[in-house]
Amino acid sequence: MSHQLPAILFLLPLFAAISMPVVCLKHRHWSLPISVAILAAMVLVSILNLYNVIHHGEVRYVFSGWTAPLGIEWVADGLASVIMVLLSALGLLGVVFAGPTSPKALGGRLAHYYTLILLLISALTGIVFSGDLFNLFVFLEVAAISSYALVGVAGGRALFAAFRYLILGTLGASFYLLGVSYLYAVTGTLNMADLAERLPFLLNSRAVVGGLLFIFIGLGIKMALVPFHAWMPEAYTHAPDSISPILAPLLTKVVLLAWVRIVFWVLNVSIAIYDIPILLLVAVLGTLAAVIGASLALAQRNIKMMFAYGGISHIGIILIGIGQGNQTGFVGGVFYLLNDAVMQAALFYIAGFAFFQYGIRTIDDLGRVGKKAPWLTGSLVVVALGMIGLPPTGGFFGKWYIILGALEAGDYISVAAVVLSTLLTLAYFVKLFESIFRQTSTQPDVQFGKIPLSFKLTLGVTSTAIIILGLFSAPIVQLLLNHALPPGL
Amino acid sequence: MVDAFSAVFQRPNFLTFVIIFLWGFYIMVTRYNLVKKLIGMYLVQTSVIFFLVSISVKKGATVPVLLSTTEPVQAASYANPLPHVLTLTAIVVGVATLGVGLALCGAIYREYGSLDEQKILEKLE
Repeated sequence: MSHQLPAILFLLPLFAAISMPVVCLKHRHWSLPISVAILAAMVLVSILNLYNVIHHGEVRYVFSGWTAPLGIEWVADGLASVIMVLLSALGLLGVVFAGPTSPKALGGRLAHYYTLILLLISALTGIVFSGDLFNLFVFLEVAAISSYALVGVAGGRALFAAFRYLILGTLGASFYLLGVSYLYAVTGTLNMADLAERLPFLLNSRAVVGGLLFIFIGLGIKMALVPFHAWMPEAYTHAPDSISPILAPLLTKVVLLAWVRIVFWVLNVSIAIYDIPILLLVAVLGTLAAVIGASLALAQRNIKMMFAYGGISHIGIILIGIGQGNQTGFVGGVFYLLNDAVMQAALFYIAGFAFFQYGIRTIDDLGRVGKKAPWLTGSLVVVALGMIGLPPTGGFFGKWYIILGALEAGDYISVAAVVLSTLLTLAYFVKLFESIFRQTSTQPDVQFGKIPLSFKLTLGVTSTAIIILGLFSAPIVQLLLNHALPPGL
Repeated sequence: MVDAFSAVFQRPNFLTFVIIFLWGFYIMVTRYNLVKKLIGMYLVQTSVIFFLVSISVKKGATVPVLLSTTEPVQAASYANPLPHVLTLTAIVVGVATLGVGLALCGAIYREYGSLDEQKILEKLE
């Protein structure tokens, strides 16, 4: 039974997504409780799966009995299982948050909206577990198509943002597919474990180098790496408030995981193409993203836009950690990825909450509410501590291990980039807090409505999680060191 | 130089792929009409599919169904089914993306009364 868990994790949201429009045809208000129940079950199964992987080693799942090089293989190793727990937990919180904030324009199509969310989560599960390059492409596209639809679902400005996202996302997918077909033409296999055996002897082939380059460009567009990030802030800003907290923490991070899988599991860690070590490339791209993303965030007035650019800079910090080529850096990067996903979710919950409860969209609006909104200010303080990286939070320990890894590798430019990006993050949060506490406007007191339970729940859980990840950072890092390291690192 | 050119012309399928890909990319970048952008996007997707098909062509090969179970299998006489299956999947994915894109175009037209990117951007300001 326990070796079936990865497939169960995928099939739960998929079947729920497919049956949703039928089941909720008459009773469209069932769709929220059903989604919550399915995702809660998914959280339980993913924890079970993590426990199973830790105690009995990784699970290699083959579909319909076709073994590895011929059939499609799924790999549930330590890294994938940890990310899976994160994915299902944030999916559950996202749907809880999506309840009261779902766009009013939907009307009778509410069931289809939950269908898309569940389809997105099942596709992300596929990306996390897939051990086959083409299978990965299919799940990338299923996730992308559902997110195009989800971004555009509310109409208005979101439509145009969704269209741009669609054009760039499809270009990325085409590049990825092109790279995969190059590799297939040279090696005749699509299985990652099989490719890892054949590729090291073929690195002088220009087709292999070209294929890898196309795969990196394609995934780079999908995960909003800095030269290709143009679609991301706009899509996340104009997406419905209920959707951005699901997309922002999950989509780019899961694609980043796929990238890590290709760099570390398919290619060997120490591989150099034409004397350029791949990991150096990863670290340089990370450095660029960390600094440029944070500087752009500093220039924004719209809260969601600011948080989206902050997400871009944090992708860069994760890449810096992963690109150091030692265990400390890699584990720091993965640990920071977990923290960053929680913090991004919390930031977009705060943005959505601020708009629904108080009508706040820009930094200047924040002054209107000020100290009268303890939930908003309180959770914002906790997330800000995490984003800047101050000691009791997980963000601090993630950055700490990343900097330790960079010092171990003697890469002082990366250390400087992490520090600089931290200072810029501090700067844009200072901007936020300045407008909250300065109380710019002198409007008469407004009676704010009662805060719905789901807002309190999501904000409370994410804020607590940020602290808990910091307090229990040692066992989590130890777990990652024992079970989530790539071979040969 | 001449060698490089002749090497390119000996593989007309690669040349065709590059031309269609760049053509689609050019349309995507330069045209302001959203539907034309979608057409460019579809050309890019199709060119990749064309590439995948063209590298899997085997002359004189037949469908991958064993003709005889007693004789040893002659790999040269059967076409490799895998690239064709991949192609089918990629076509389905492409059609789904195009469908979502056209739906978005329709919604944008109803919202802004135009499909011209510049006019829409003017209205957004």
